[in-house]
Amino acid sequence: MARGNSGGTRNRDVICTECGLHVDVALRAMSVFCPHCSQRLILEDFKITGYRASRMFATCGNIVVEKSGVVSAPIRAGNLTVRGRVQGNVEARGVVEVSRTGQIQGDVCASRLTVANGAKLKGFYRIIPELPADQNMEPAD
Amino acid sequence: MASNAGGEFTTVIGPDAIFKGELKFEKSVRHLGQFEGQIETTGHLLIAEGAKLTGEVKAGSVDVEGEVKGNLSSTGKVCLTTSARLEGDLHTARLEVADGAVFIGRCVVGTNGQSPVESAKPSQSVKQPQPNQSKEPVASGKK
Repeated sequence: MARGNSGGTRNRDVICTECGLHVDVALRAMSVFCPHCSQRLILEDFKITGYRASRMFATCGNIVVEKSGVVSAPIRAGNLTVRGRVQGNVEARGVVEVSRTGQIQGDVCASRLTVANGAKLKGFYRIIPELPADQNMEPAD
Repeated sequence: MASNAGGEFTTVIGPDAIFKGELKFEKSVRHLGQFEGQIETTGHLLIAEGAKLTGEVKAGSVDVEGEVKGNLSSTGKVCLTTSARLEGDLHTARLEVADGAVFIGRCVVGTNGQSPVESAKPSQSVKQPQPNQSKEPVASGKK
C-alpha cells in the first residue's frame, strides 16, 4: 500500500543545492523553499543554447549547455552536460559530462566525470564517487 | 601514439617490488608494485590495481588502475579506471574517467596551457605601440 501519496500526488526526493539536505517535493513542482535552510530551490531542468551570465546558476535538476551555449556563472546542478562553454566553478551531485565540443574553465566537484575526445578542461577537479550529503556541497554563506 | 593494443608489456615491475628512483623507458611498463620517484617515457604506462606510485610521471599514455600521488603528464590519453585514485595535477591531451574513479587535483585537458574559453575565441590582432607615435616627452633626468 502506498503511504503518504493520498490523492494521487507523487513526490520525489531532491537535494538542496544550498544546505545539501534531502527535500521531499511534489513530482511536478518547479520550485520550492527548502524546509531546512529556507532557500528557494529551482527544480527545473535547463537547456542553455545562448549566452547566460549570472551570480549563481543553481538547480536541483539537470543542466545541458548546448553547443551554441555559453555559461559564465558558478553552476550547481544534479547532472551537467557540456557541449558548449562553461566559465565558472561547477558542483554536480551526479555526473559532469563533457562532449567533444565542450569546454570548462573552472573548478569541478562531482561524483562522476565523463570526458569525450576533444573536450577542453582547465581547473581543479574533485571527482569523488558517492560522497555523503553533508560533505559534497558546502552551505552558502 | 604510443599504445599497448597488443596487451604485451616489455617491462613488468612486480607486485613485491619497491622501486625508488628515476625510470626511463621507450615501450611499455606494467607497474604492479610500489614506485617512488620519476617516470619519463614516450610509451605506455599501466599502473595496475593495488599498485602505488608516488612522484612525477611524464608518459605517452597512462592507464591508472591503482593509486597515484603526484603530477601526471601525458601527450596521449590518460585512463582512470574504476579502482583508480589520482591525487595530483593532471595534464593530458585526452582523458577517460570510469565510474568510481577518484581524482583530486588540477586538471588541464586538451589545451596547450591555454585557457579553453580563451582558446575558442577568434584570434585578435594586438596592436603593438609604435616607437614614433609616443607623444610623451622622453624624460631627460635634468631639470
